[in-house]
Amino acid sequence: MGQVLVLGLISGGIYAIFALGVVLVFRGTGVLSFAQGEIGTVALYFAYFLVTKQHLPWAVGAIGAIALATLIGAAFEYGVVRRMVQADPVSTAVATVGVTLFLLAGEFFVFGASPRDLPAPTRAGVELFGVRVTPAQIAALLLALALGLGLQSVLRRTDFGLGILAAAQDPTAVRLVGVPLSRLTLTIWSAGAALSGLAALLVEPTVGFITPGYASELFIVGLAAAVIGGLTSLPGAFVGGVVLGIAEAAANHWFGQYGLPGLRYVVVLVVMLVVLLGRSFAPDLRRRLEQPPRPAGVTA
Amino acid sequence: MTAVSVHRRLPARGLPVPGIVVALVLAALLPPLLGSTPLLSDPHALLLCRASGIAIAAISLNILMGYAGQISLGQFAFVGVGAFTTGIVTGTHDLRLPWLAGVVAAAAAGALLALLVGLPALRLRGLYLAVVTISVAYVGWQSLFRVERIGGGSAGKVIPRPYVGGWSFSDNATYLSLALIALVVVWQVDVNLVRSRFGRAFQAVKADEKVAASFGVDVARYKLLAFALSGAVAGVGGAVFGTAFGTVTGDDFQYSTSLLLVVIVVIGGLGSRAGVVAAAFFAVLLPDVLIGIFGSGIRGLDLVINAALLVFTIARHPDGMAGAVAEAREKRARRRGGEPPLPPTRPNLPSLGRPSGMPEPRRLRAGRPVLDVAGINVRFGGLQAVDNASLRVDRGTIVGLMGPNGAGKTTLFNAITGALRPDSGRVALLGQDVSDLPAHARAALGVGRTFQLIGLVKGQSVYENLLIAQHLAAPYGLGSGLTRVGASRWYEREIRERADKTLEGLGFQRFAQTPVGRLSHGQQRIVEIGCALVTSPELVLLDEPSAGMSPAAAEDLAATLRDIRDVLGRTVLLIEHNVPLVLDVTDELYVMDAGRVIANGEPVEVVQRPEVVTAYLGTAPVREGVSA
Repeated sequence: MGQVLVLGLISGGIYAIFALGVVLVFRGTGVLSFAQGEIGTVALYFAYFLVTKQHLPWAVGAIGAIALATLIGAAFEYGVVRRMVQADPVSTAVATVGVTLFLLAGEFFVFGASPRDLPAPTRAGVELFGVRVTPAQIAALLLALALGLGLQSVLRRTDFGLGILAAAQDPTAVRLVGVPLSRLTLTIWSAGAALSGLAALLVEPTVGFITPGYASELFIVGLAAAVIGGLTSLPGAFVGGVVLGIAEAAANHWFGQYGLPGLRYVVVLVVMLVVLLGRSFAPDLRRRLEQPPRPAGVTA
Repeated sequence: MTAVSVHRRLPARGLPVPGIVVALVLAALLPPLLGSTPLLSDPHALLLCRASGIAIAAISLNILMGYAGQISLGQFAFVGVGAFTTGIVTGTHDLRLPWLAGVVAAAAAGALLALLVGLPALRLRGLYLAVVTISVAYVGWQSLFRVERIGGGSAGKVIPRPYVGGWSFSDNATYLSLALIALVVVWQVDVNLVRSRFGRAFQAVKADEKVAASFGVDVARYKLLAFALSGAVAGVGGAVFGTAFGTVTGDDFQYSTSLLLVVIVVIGGLGSRAGVVAAAFFAVLLPDVLIGIFGSGIRGLDLVINAALLVFTIARHPDGMAGAVAEAREKRARRRGGEPPLPPTRPNLPSLGRPSGMPEPRRLRAGRPVLDVAGINVRFGGLQAVDNASLRVDRGTIVGLMGPNGAGKTTLFNAITGALRPDSGRVALLGQDVSDLPAHARAALGVGRTFQLIGLVKGQSVYENLLIAQHLAAPYGLGSGLTRVGASRWYEREIRERADKTLEGLGFQRFAQTPVGRLSHGQQRIVEIGCALVTSPELVLLDEPSAGMSPAAAEDLAATLRDIRDVLGRTVLLIEHNVPLVLDVTDELYVMDAGRVIANGEPVEVVQRPEVVTAYLGTAPVREGVSA
């Protein structure tokens, strides 16, 4: 039980960071970004290039990776999103699909399909309920929690954050009030991408190698976590990530013996469908419970 | 009858038997003939077989994205389900049924999976389907297709080539015939879909869910239907695609291929069948062409090119290849001197009977109102938008609803038509309590409405909008619609005749094929009123019909409104700001302010009441002897 909890929290922290990036971009721009995962992978490949090929320290690789992720996010905003002001958010979401495929294809083209290895920053670790927990994993969970609460208060408490929220509601009105809209969206897309780079860096030591599409496999869980948390709530995204992490660990613990491949994705799909089913039928149910049944055959 | 002759040339008329027969014969004969020459090598034949499967899959995604406006990022999982189902049904170690049975099973499996996944995701607004389908893509690729019983383990699943008697399709060029025939059949089914009430309902849902519901379309059901149809077609694509390979593994159905399918559909042009199929062949053949030119070092670059094309298309040409072609064609037509047509004269509303596809309206006992609204309350967060509003509308009258901006008039309209659920209060239509009925069911009882911001499908032609508006008048089944056999032909003929008559009455014949979005605001309004009346509803709700009209046009509108009442014998509830117009046409007037009904009665008397004047002018300049 303790083991399930520890394993669940470890992966839940990573999912939560991805989910935070999704929610940040969605709240700030109304666009659901599907590219966050591959931005993380590309950042990781860059870190691999710096650390393993150029023999630079891990920290330099990490900074370089997050810088590159931020740059990709900014470039996408500057090159694509900004030119699509009139387009509906769905078109922009499809454009992020294009970016995903572009980055994925680029990874294959440059690095090939074989796995690449980025050494972990330290060999340190502690034993918890029979699970070895590394500093990166603890950092991931704490960072996710801090970011969830911190970003929430930035959005709610600062002018900058309120500008972001207002911009998502009505961009024209915000521009008329004098808020530099383009700077806001540039910041959001960059920050969302930076979060992907961060999440990818923190999870890499747990898995130990990089392949094309690597971070997308984790990102889709983060996306599901964001959906479970309601898509607009940063704390909800954190909770969603942890819930999915624990559900996955529990499923592995109790159903792992049946040898179903890709159990993680089955768990994610089932949990998400159940939550959506509940959410889509809840209003009807509530209405039925609140309103006493009227006698049959009565017309107004 | 001049209107009819205009529409004889429409592609929508008559079964294109020759076209499909020619296509089928070509598909059957060409590949084997070419296969025996150096023009079509064996590897190229195989490539084209795969491309046919991908093209069918692209058509399936186009049904969902292009027609119904929903996104699936896991469409290739449905293709995979189709392929593995075919293997299980036809495989020599499994059921050993004929190939055609495999294709049917693949379609069924695809549809079933779509229903299972779509039911929770499509009742909610937003991109939930996109997120859920990504998960489906991963579950298929990483889990389901790796299960030994389904995916055949590491060796993969064998899907034998079909054979008839002793004659087999093992040769790639021969199998290409079959793959192309499948593509032609799917193409034709898709053509039929677009021309049926189902395809039109999808278009309406994509354009605006509220408008679709006002035409009687059950939005949640049609979104689910679009997804299920799309899943079935994807399953067929999987059968064709998988049989081309002969053996498939889970890795043939990766997530990235689902994304590629989105790229294909967007580059080809959302909603354009030909564009999407062309883009599918382009995407499958591109790597081969690139390798042929630059050598094998270039492998993988095709995806980079495709993805870059997608981003470019989305940002610059949102209508894709098909859109670019249409634009060029239009430019040429305009240069040839196609002047913009003249605005129509004052419309005569056609007097159409009840469509045969709709039930007779309920008999109303004498003295009962057509519409009876009691105690409606609507709250938006802290704002009481409608506060205990009640009103009644008697048969054969025009009742006006006035009030300053934000008084809650449109919100009350939405509560009456079912576009939103009030927090409390009851609505009775034709003596029947409809408070618990959704909007599309209320429309079916005989309520037509217009919207403040024009409730039409702007991208579609005037004629097409008149057909969309008759969704309820042609209640034929899906099978009949997709095959154009039986009931659909009869109903379609009737609603097309009604559309023709309406066009003629409105004086819009020359605009029949013009997209509604190109018309002026006033013209759009007239088309919208025509659409609201084309199914002969008992009650018509008009939301600010004179908004944006010139004074002269507004005067014409008054005559039109009187025609609706006196010539057509309909009942009208009218939101209007134009006081002269209101005083001119209404029999009774309600005035709302801050969510409440503050006055009602004889129009000329009501507008002079001090509380009404206060509501409009903000002060109470009550003087002696105020007159209208």
